[in-house]
Amino acid sequence: MVRIETQPWETMVEHARRVYPNECCGVMLGKASNGEKRVSRAVPLDNAWQGEQRARYELRPEDLLAAEREARAQGLELIGIYHSHPDCDAYFSETDLKNSCPWYSFVVLSIQRGAFGHANSWLPNAEQTAAEKEELICGE
Amino acid sequence: MAKILIPTPLRQYAGRQDAVELNGSTVGEVLDALTSSFQDLRRHLYNDEGRLRSFVNVYVNDEDIRYLSKDATPVGENDTISIVPSIAGGLHAG
Ligand SMILES: [Zn+2]
Repeated sequence: MVRIETQPWETMVEHARRVYPNECCGVMLGKASNGEKRVSRAVPLDNAWQGEQRARYELRPEDLLAAEREARAQGLELIGIYHSHPDCDAYFSETDLKNSCPWYSFVVLSIQRGAFGHANSWLPNAEQTAAEKEELICGE
Repeated sequence: MAKILIPTPLRQYAGRQDAVELNGSTVGEVLDALTSSFQDLRRHLYNDEGRLRSFVNVYVNDEDIRYLSKDATPVGENDTISIVPSIAGGLHAG
């Protein structure tokens, strides 16, 4: 189960709406214990995909490295990655799966005509062949 | 000894440590030492063919080893090795 506190959640939704109709991406920092992950900070990152960003995103590894260092410095953990699906459901696409990492929660935000619709969290497997839906709770 | 930082979700396979100091003069030797000390870690970093999983990037300080000498990249006393996943996605391929 992953719980996203109100402030990081608002940061994520605002980020997704701001870059609409493109896909946004960023990282979620927080703490994990006893199977519950709690996100206390969301850090918007650049979409580094070279090309049309309406249906693609890419995280720069250097940005991820910097975010991980920041998390360590603050005593937080990298809990997951978020990105948006403009005018599309919050499913985990084939491209999402093929470029995923099983160590993290992947939160997908569906943005419909510029407004937030719904969100899901996914846990991809190591073979990048399937992703399991994870319970997602937004709020304290 | 070089220091290797362990990503949080993998710490449970590395004696709950957030960083491990290991002997080795190249990245390959340090990774071998790491996965020999913590064998459970191996399948999280390597596939069945013994190659680093496609989403695993290895950095020495601020440099991706793919742009250095890969496994043969030398590491010294004050170097820090980081494991950084490559992550992307999208609604359509291409
Ligand atoms: Zn996606």
